[in-house]
Amino acid sequence: MLGRVVYLDNAAATRLDERVLEAVRPYFFDTYAVATSEFGYSQGIEAREALDGAREAIASALGAAPEEFIFTSGSTESSNIALKGVALALDKKKDKHIIVSKIEDFPVLHSSQALEKQGFQVTYLDVDGDGFVDLDKLRDSMTNETILVSIQHANQEIGTIQDIEGIGHICREKGVLFHTDATHTFPWVPLDVKRIPVDLVTVSAHTIHGPKGIGGLYIRQGTQIAKWVDGGFQEFNLRAGLENIAGAVGFAKAVELITPEETKRLQEMRDRLIDRILAEIPNSTLNGHRWRRLPQNANITFHFVEGESMTLHLDMRGFAVSTGSACFSRSLEGSHVIFGIGGDHERTHGSIRFTFGRYNTMEDVDAVVQALAEIVKELRSISPLGKNREKEEG
Amino acid sequence: MAEIKVDCTSETCPVPLVETRKALRKAKEGDVVEVIGTHPASKKEIPMAVKALGLELIDVQEEGGVWRIRIRR
Repeated sequence: MLGRVVYLDNAAATRLDERVLEAVRPYFFDTYAVATSEFGYSQGIEAREALDGAREAIASALGAAPEEFIFTSGSTESSNIALKGVALALDKKKDKHIIVSKIEDFPVLHSSQALEKQGFQVTYLDVDGDGFVDLDKLRDSMTNETILVSIQHANQEIGTIQDIEGIGHICREKGVLFHTDATHTFPWVPLDVKRIPVDLVTVSAHTIHGPKGIGGLYIRQGTQIAKWVDGGFQEFNLRAGLENIAGAVGFAKAVELITPEETKRLQEMRDRLIDRILAEIPNSTLNGHRWRRLPQNANITFHFVEGESMTLHLDMRGFAVSTGSACFSRSLEGSHVIFGIGGDHERTHGSIRFTFGRYNTMEDVDAVVQALAEIVKELRSISPLGKNREKEEG
Repeated sequence: MAEIKVDCTSETCPVPLVETRKALRKAKEGDVVEVIGTHPASKKEIPMAVKALGLELIDVQEEGGVWRIRIRR
């Protein structure tokens, strides 16, 4: 709060990489024209080339063709387009069926709820204790009316990585479109649309040290999807509006900067944090699968303490983390993800999410573990929940 | 040097700590923040936070279930 900050909330937003800033700078001061066709003026053509180059680079990282990728304002918009765009494209909407998991991020969950109000049927699939969707249950929940399945690549809170290849094959077999929200995986965890039968993929720059306000949606060629924003003919006539060329260039640069070595480094920090906390802080539980999880994510419940208190005390010692506890969220409800994996209020309230990024070090891991050990011990000594535990333990 | 008063009477954990943090963020070096409250756990956790911040805990007083904590920024 008063000095250096160890930022461990990289799933929410990341620090911009200076190399991204350098890449985008010319598109604010030199090549600021609107992207134009080859019949326009030179600066507009340069802008168009920059946009096309960025599109090609990001599409290529997904194994896609450039014309299968549109830029959006971020992952919220991308998922909205994926769900509502597919729904809107249908001639007959009533009783059409969509399947999502219960632990999807809000853009998918709330888009589903909005579609329900318009007459669509939605199945919210249960997940197991680690957060995995059961493929048999998915298959069983499909009906002749099912038009779309939307199941995330990895969970935003507990980091569990779904078997999207398996899910994709079931969808393909049944002739149902498949959307996945890859906001927290792309491009840390490989996703090649040539190999994985997925029709729509949500991605964003804000989680990978790119600019905020730019994301994208992969749309497999031939997918029926309605125009999202009316106006001009931008983004293959799906999303009108002046293109965010600086954002697109920054997104592409951010993707280029992710390397397997960096992913490995994040994973090492994650593993050290999990191993040390579980070994050194009693009554702590890992949320999500131990190994099939995001390389940058650890989510741990510290029983008998409240997440808000922990985040406050950590903040005052210079650590930024987030919690699934109710008061921390704008909805004032506990994490639907921890509830979704079978957690109760107590497990939700004591959950803390740590997400690593490019600017974290092993020293950060050790420092936060030490701070946590002290804070948890002190809070348990004064918390009514902690006192109850002491009574129970005699 | 200003004195900033924060009344957290009847508020429960973690609100008193949130309000304390808010006041400390606004305070200038040397200012005194006085927090008044009734929640017992907050009376213990605010000094904890003050110590972690390396600030001066001037005193903690309690009378009739109402505590008063003074902190120098």
